[in-house]
Amino acid sequence: MDILTNKTFLITGAGKGIGFHLAEALHELGASLILHTNSTDSMARIQSRFSLGQHTFFQADFSSPENLEDLWKKQISGSLKIDGYVHCVGIRSRRPINMLKTHDVMQVMTANFASYVEMIRLVTRKNTYNPGLSIVGISSISAHAGGSGITAYAASKAAMEAATRCLAKELYKKEIRVNTVVCGQIETEAYQTLMESKDDQTDKVLERQYLGLGKPSQVTDIILFLLSEKSAFITGSAIPADGGYLTT
Amino acid sequence: MQDRECVIVINDGNDTGFSIVNQLINQNYHVVLIERQLPKSDVAFNGIGTVEFFIFDFYNTELIEPEIKKLPPEIFPVSGLVYAAGIGGVRPLSLTNTVFLHQMMNANLYAFVEFARCICKKKRFKDGGSVVALSSVSSTKGLKSKIAYSASKAALDASIRGLAAELADRKIRVNSIQKGWVRADMKHSFIQDNMALSEADDLAKQPLGVIESEELAHMVVYLLSPESRSITGTNLVLDGGYTL
Repeated sequence: MDILTNKTFLITGAGKGIGFHLAEALHELGASLILHTNSTDSMARIQSRFSLGQHTFFQADFSSPENLEDLWKKQISGSLKIDGYVHCVGIRSRRPINMLKTHDVMQVMTANFASYVEMIRLVTRKNTYNPGLSIVGISSISAHAGGSGITAYAASKAAMEAATRCLAKELYKKEIRVNTVVCGQIETEAYQTLMESKDDQTDKVLERQYLGLGKPSQVTDIILFLLSEKSAFITGSAIPADGGYLTT
Repeated sequence: MQDRECVIVINDGNDTGFSIVNQLINQNYHVVLIERQLPKSDVAFNGIGTVEFFIFDFYNTELIEPEIKKLPPEIFPVSGLVYAAGIGGVRPLSLTNTVFLHQMMNANLYAFVEFARCICKKKRFKDGGSVVALSSVSSTKGLKSKIAYSASKAALDASIRGLAAELADRKIRVNSIQKGWVRADMKHSFIQDNMALSEADDLAKQPLGVIESEELAHMVVYLLSPESRSITGTNLVLDGGYTL
């Protein structure tokens, strides 16, 4: 993937999980990065990890997307033009319907969906991107398969994928592609936390995800492909990285 | 307790909603129709069943719980909930700001989930009951300038799967109908805007032509009835071949 060297990529949610692993992979390939996290703590962590290289850092709270425009203008220099944007920000939520108030639904929709659309609105303005820009959103198998207690989370990921289909049709004339990667269970910090919170330590999802628990590199390889020109003919799609889950 | 089964229909002045009410009262249901304002005087309901009206602005979702509590206690537990309300709207990405996204989500997702939360409680909803929401083919098909609308319908369809999984213990079924072009919807101005802004010949993609509200209402009645007792968590497509 030498074709990614010397290009500039924005990764939101780079503090941990898929976003962090992707930042490492792109850093190894010699790309310039704009790395986003939401908290000062994780910002300090990625600033020290990625101190070598042509990188810029962006701190913003994605639970208030209406502030993103100002924060972006303040922190990112106008001369940077991006070649790819990967949206890894996302919150998980588990609430039974009798406790799922509008406020809770809205919180999840804001962080997982509205922030995605708002960032795309900002990075697809004139002089912010290079032609050939590739946008990748991280979705989930929950967008396709129902689960008890994940009504709001599933809705937010389905909204991302639907918006992606419309954005692809709207932005292709500007030479911009938009796709999502539909993740199954991947071995990240968030997954470990989830498993520790369970009493019986078993994961029913893996019964259907017959290729087993995914490694972060198995997802980032797909993202790297979508960022590269090798996927120039793919847009508006939702590519599964699900170990076979959605086929069972 | 009353002898008729009761169904709550949430509607925002749409003819499709009135058509659903008419077919339900033809089937001898008691319908509780919740609207945001009084329907125009030319709307008439005829059937052997009965209909009761309640008006409040349910797009202000904070009102839903207190207003549901005010409904006459004898209607509960109900056996069906139909969400036929919702809004449309077209905007290119440059104008799709967070406020617009939230407006769309509010009418097409948040209000539905809040009604489901308040009505699907044990004391208010019968085990074995059925919930139906009206969705759109836009949930699965992308069109220019329909980012917010498509996303809200996809979110609605995904929420249906979550609710179906959760309420299956009580044999409550939750489904949506992905509709294509329905004649009653086409009189709205936003559809005409969409024709202008987006792909003009979108209707031509529907080889069987425009859908009448009555056909949609039939499908809703079927999903509410015990005849569909094994259908849950699905998004039924009624689109005249649009997604072919």
